[in-house]
Amino acid sequence: MMRNRIRPGREPYDMVTNVIVTFFAILNLFPLYWLWTSSLKNSADVVKMPPDWFPKDITFSNYVDIFQNQPALRWTFNSLYVSFVSTVLVVIIGAMAAYAFSKLTFPGQNVIFIIFISSLMIPKEIMIVPLFQITQDFGLINSYGGMIWPNVATAFGVFMLKGFFDQTPSALREASRIDGAGEWRTFLQIMLPIIKPGIGALFILNFVQVWNDYLWQMIVGQEKNMKTLMVGTATLMQDMNPNFAYKMAGAFVAALPMLLIFILFQRYFTQGITAGAVKE
Amino acid sequence: MKSPRILKEHLTGYLFITPQMIVFLLFLVYPIMEGFRMSLYQIQYSSEKFIGFDNYISLLNDPVFLQAFFNTLVFVVCIVVLTVGFALFVASSVFDKNAKYVSFIRGSYYIPVMVSMVVMSMIWSFLLNPSSGLISYLAREQGIGNINLLGNKITVMPVIIFVTFATNVGQAIILYIAAMIGIPKDLMEAAEVDGVSRVQMIRHILIPSVQSTTVYITIINIIAVLKIFVVIQLLTGGGPNNASVTLMYYLYNNAFKFNQLGVASAVGVIMFVITLLLSIPQLRTVLRVK
Repeated sequence: MMRNRIRPGREPYDMVTNVIVTFFAILNLFPLYWLWTSSLKNSADVVKMPPDWFPKDITFSNYVDIFQNQPALRWTFNSLYVSFVSTVLVVIIGAMAAYAFSKLTFPGQNVIFIIFISSLMIPKEIMIVPLFQITQDFGLINSYGGMIWPNVATAFGVFMLKGFFDQTPSALREASRIDGAGEWRTFLQIMLPIIKPGIGALFILNFVQVWNDYLWQMIVGQEKNMKTLMVGTATLMQDMNPNFAYKMAGAFVAALPMLLIFILFQRYFTQGITAGAVKE
Repeated sequence: MKSPRILKEHLTGYLFITPQMIVFLLFLVYPIMEGFRMSLYQIQYSSEKFIGFDNYISLLNDPVFLQAFFNTLVFVVCIVVLTVGFALFVASSVFDKNAKYVSFIRGSYYIPVMVSMVVMSMIWSFLLNPSSGLISYLAREQGIGNINLLGNKITVMPVIIFVTFATNVGQAIILYIAAMIGIPKDLMEAAEVDGVSRVQMIRHILIPSVQSTTVYITIINIIAVLKIFVVIQLLTGGGPNNASVTLMYYLYNNAFKFNQLGVASAVGVIMFVITLLLSIPQLRTVLRVK
């Protein structure tokens, strides 16, 4: 082993690529930095050229503005409510179905599972017309129900949690059954607690997804007070008001919870995103 | 004869999938079928008239639809190539570095994905604003003169493609890094012993090993691009002169602005068929794993 080899990681190529990757990673965050600092500038400074790279006179008036002159508080509540309820429902019905597909046997199981899984790739946006019609028929336009139910129809929860159930030993379930616990109790008290990490990952991923949903929420929540934060914020953009600072404040408010969630739960994202994809 | 115990288990199985089944049928399966049906009708408010495939025929004769189709195709190809290429580049450079650095890289590329296309579109719209945007200012400083990247037929698509790519590439990077970390170490060690360079290692070991991830990323990106809407609505509204109109935007306009529900449904059906065909390879892998 006298060969004079270069250890990977020390090659010039590797060093150059890492500089490039790091540079772009920082550059990639610049738009968010610009969003944040712009939201703290007054309406004159925000369009001043050459710009202040660091805001000089920091003001919170833009935030006061969107919370006082726009129903941003109501929008935030709507977003929280819709995302939370949708996600709880996705987790509950997804976990039930995933459990059945993983641990129980019933005729047609595989076919139904395949149909569920094939629907994963189909975005609800492309059937937005009939979806709107049925929502309207149910009288759910401008209601939370209309915003929530179509988000619950995803099979993503089933798909993800089945992976977690598959990893739990079936012996546990059998033991519980022998001890006389019914299927429902076994599910709730034995199996669900074991797959907590999976539930956590699903919860966060789904919450973020519904929070960031746009087209559907825009169509269903037409009244100003029924808009979600994303939709409400976007309407600020289309406002004739030339003051960009308060629009940036709105966008920052919409982004902030997601930034916090990401910082707190980074691990779950990697887990959740890769759960469905990276399996050899 | 099946024992009552087995029958009971079957019944329990059905009970457990029932709630999922109900929402699935109501808000997914039914809309798909209804979409097919509506695409064969001319729909005005509450009156419906069966017209067969006329909606589809009129689509083929609509230059805006053809433009939207072409734009979507360009979009898909560019985004997929950029995303796969760049994500492979990033992941292959960082996957074997220390955990803190990897998590920094992952995080900084993923944060724009997190904060959503709506917020990112708003920021880019601000940055690109011809009179007061930072990018326009920097272009003037560089002596390029007054530019309006979004108002120009030639630059509008590249700019939107870039914005979409920059916002979404983080997910592909996470997937690739995870896949590369999962490659058995002995493969790489053997190569190391043989003294291969990093470039060779990337080409001959890393990239082939993550092929299934590449397929997955390609498919999810095609589907994500197909439904692209926000960035078009907030940045250009499909303009200038339909230069940036996409299928999804076209569908939305027909449905909710022009009240052409039949036509919009036909576009939806076309997109549904494309999506379904695209997801077959992915479906195969998922089922093989099973």
